[in-house]
Amino acid sequence: MTDRKQITQQQSARPGDSLPVKPGKRTNPLAHVFDELIDFARSRSLFMLHYCTGCGAVELPPAMTSRFDMERLGIQPMVTPRQADILLVTGYVSVKTLKRVILTYEQMPAPKYVIGICSCTVNGGMYWQSYATAKKLNDYLPVDVYIAGCMPRPEAVIAGMRHLMETIKNGEANAWQDYYRRYDHYLGNQQRLFGQTWQTPTDVIAEAKYYGQIGPETRGAHTAMLEKHQKPLEALDLQLSISELEHRRS
Amino acid sequence: MTEGKELTTWLDKVLTEIEGIEIRRKSSRRLRVDVAADALPALLELLRGRASYVHLSAISCVDWLDDGEFELVYHVWSYEMQSLVSAHTRIPREPGIYISVYDIYTPAAFFERDIHEMYGVFFEGSPDMSKFILTEWDGPPPMRKDFDSEAWVNDHFDWQNYNPEWLQEIIAQGGGIAVRPDEQRFSRKQ
Repeated sequence: MTDRKQITQQQSARPGDSLPVKPGKRTNPLAHVFDELIDFARSRSLFMLHYCTGCGAVELPPAMTSRFDMERLGIQPMVTPRQADILLVTGYVSVKTLKRVILTYEQMPAPKYVIGICSCTVNGGMYWQSYATAKKLNDYLPVDVYIAGCMPRPEAVIAGMRHLMETIKNGEANAWQDYYRRYDHYLGNQQRLFGQTWQTPTDVIAEAKYYGQIGPETRGAHTAMLEKHQKPLEALDLQLSISELEHRRS
Repeated sequence: MTEGKELTTWLDKVLTEIEGIEIRRKSSRRLRVDVAADALPALLELLRGRASYVHLSAISCVDWLDDGEFELVYHVWSYEMQSLVSAHTRIPREPGIYISVYDIYTPAAFFERDIHEMYGVFFEGSPDMSKFILTEWDGPPPMRKDFDSEAWVNDHFDWQNYNPEWLQEIIAQGGGIAVRPDEQRFSRKQ
């Protein structure tokens, strides 16, 4: 980057060059266009992983199918977190489920977006005094859009989706970067709920390095705790035993 | 069904012969039996072996905090008589140990494990008393009446800010939250 700047300054210093170049500005006029184009394309093809934890999932079939037809916005369901852009959490998240939601979220490739549907993800909703459900989803995951309601109608779901599309198009939907930049904060909240030995298979700090999102709050007391308790992952022992086949073989 | 009716009157008579149990017939197909804790397995043995009540629908537990007792209710169903018998028994809250009826009804293992998890009642002789649904739980049994769920929640979770800055603008325009959550929550009403 600096090399190119120097070159352009040298070029502009050349006599006879009429093109005025301000120092510090990108000279390639197409570079920004491509960014905008990518953002636009990204906002128009979203694969959605719907983690249907609670009753809010009932509103998704009409939102996805022919009545409201989410696919005309370019949003369609995806079966695996590895290929999904949006994680849709619909309804209350019990402490047990929250672990799975975090595992799912960390498996998604960046850029990734989280939508919390229903009042339960905002503040516990009607389960606010339940010992079993987590209250604020954005304590544990960075949430891009909350769609409040008990339950929100498909119109509201689509309005929320459109809002997310708009923010992606404008390059403002950067909550996923927050997870890397303030990983210590999120991990601290997770450890408060799950205990100090909590760990996920994903190396979030390495991912943060990969995406260039290491910030001053990426590492801290909680990640130090994680490193203390972290056990190396072992491959699952895959065994297939079909008694009938074994019987036939012998 | 007439046959079933005769059988139920027969059952009533048989049960009234036994000392120390109190029977209350709720309807032709529902019978409540109150029995002492040490006689309950014998009663269930009788109901299952002789009176065709082969199906244990559920074991429910009630925490009577003021009496210092747990009430255990065994719901047994007979397919032949088409009727339900609820056998109620009370055990002291402390130490909260009772005997399993796993040897009489096999599905009892499932219900007893659940009650052990939710109320802390230990069933001696039950095959598995390990954690069941609340595998992540390390607090006191949450269905006990003396467990303060609200205090636990306030201890473990943070709340969303109900006065964010963007709301002030809406309030200035005459909008805002009609009933604040603090006013709406029954437990906080004085």
